[in-house]
Amino acid sequence: MTFRYGISLYSYTDDFGTAMTLDDAFYHVAEAGAAGIEILGETHLAGYPEPPAAWFDRWFALVDRFGLQPTNYGCWVDSCVQKRRVLTAEEASAGLARDLQLAHRLGFRFVRPKFGVIDDELTPHPIWEAAVERVLDLAAKLDVVICPEIHAPTPIRHPVVEGYVDFIQRTGTRHFGLLIDTGIFQDRPLPYWPGETPEMRENAMGFLNGIKVPVEQLAEVIDHVVFIQAKFHHIDAQLHDHHIPWERIVPMLKKLDYTGWLSSEYEGVRDPWLAIEQVRRQHALIRNLERAYDAQTSSGEQAHA
Amino acid sequence: MLERSTIQSSGFSNLGPEGARTGFRLRLRQPNYRGMRLSLIEGVDVVVDGERFPAADNRILFQGRTFGRADLDDATETRWPVGETIDVLVDRPGGLVPGVHQVETIVWMRHPYFPPQFQPVPMRDAREATIVL
Repeated sequence: MTFRYGISLYSYTDDFGTAMTLDDAFYHVAEAGAAGIEILGETHLAGYPEPPAAWFDRWFALVDRFGLQPTNYGCWVDSCVQKRRVLTAEEASAGLARDLQLAHRLGFRFVRPKFGVIDDELTPHPIWEAAVERVLDLAAKLDVVICPEIHAPTPIRHPVVEGYVDFIQRTGTRHFGLLIDTGIFQDRPLPYWPGETPEMRENAMGFLNGIKVPVEQLAEVIDHVVFIQAKFHHIDAQLHDHHIPWERIVPMLKKLDYTGWLSSEYEGVRDPWLAIEQVRRQHALIRNLERAYDAQTSSGEQAHA
Repeated sequence: MLERSTIQSSGFSNLGPEGARTGFRLRLRQPNYRGMRLSLIEGVDVVVDGERFPAADNRILFQGRTFGRADLDDATETRWPVGETIDVLVDRPGGLVPGVHQVETIVWMRHPYFPPQFQPVPMRDAREATIVL
């Protein structure tokens, strides 16, 4: 069994709406040899949260034409919705229910809610638990899995992850899981973002130097991992990733029998159309590593036979 | 398709009749990677050729409605999508002289999934833009 290769349209940020239509985006995803397409509801749905009927027709026509499978649908729970107050759990669950329905209608099997946070370690606002619990039956009915992301600076061994795992165990649900963002494995510093200063990097933005989670720790949560966003920032012409250690991540995922989606999330320089080439390099790189692992293990099996 | 920069050159124009300009209009593309409720926007600072026009004095024209900064917090169900623009309306009696201006903007945004210490987040842009008439 191999990984399932997908691409998130997040990769094409800033191209989308200035240099790339939804039709163009489907074309580039399909041409990279990907089987799956990931979107962000509030970015890629025209007229979100109530797209016109014509937009749904266009979506289904594109899915058919390019033969792509909708994978994960990103949404937000805007806890600090107003300066003067926080979203209630009822409002948060109503929003989640709406996104679940939209995602299901468009053919997605995963929904990633991005919860508002309350501290520097990205602890989700406490409304998350009641909000999600209220929509678990709906998720089960639609057979959509809700999967918040484990994203730097939050590592795997962290109370945020424990909270999600406790929730799964307490409710017994099969419609809530973990999404791993491969940025947690970043082990070399990112270049400074526009506007970022050395002082910021030394303090609050230190995680941009990489939080270097050991890939072996994936084993501790893999039973709950339902989706992976293959975050990366720069891959050079020799297919060398400057920040994410794919040569360790890929064999570990293979060893753990992960056969779910790897959905590219390019998050680097935003020059027009650069993301298209960067995503293709990432797929070439990861597919090479996967082939090499498979070749090695099958020859190893033959040697033992 | 819109210009790549947040600040759009198209849309940058004087307000009011010729000879009695009341101010100017500046068009901005959504600078974030997702659409946002207007209630998550805390105003737009504008600087033109070094002259400052703070967010508190500027209005936002979006989908035919005008929002003062104090109105934004209630606009929880009005969403500024990716690939769409808002117009920032700035009072300046006499308007701006036709020609090329150095324009800077800060869109102040709350990103709920960012740590509270970073809120609101300044989304900055700067470029030359031209008033035609």
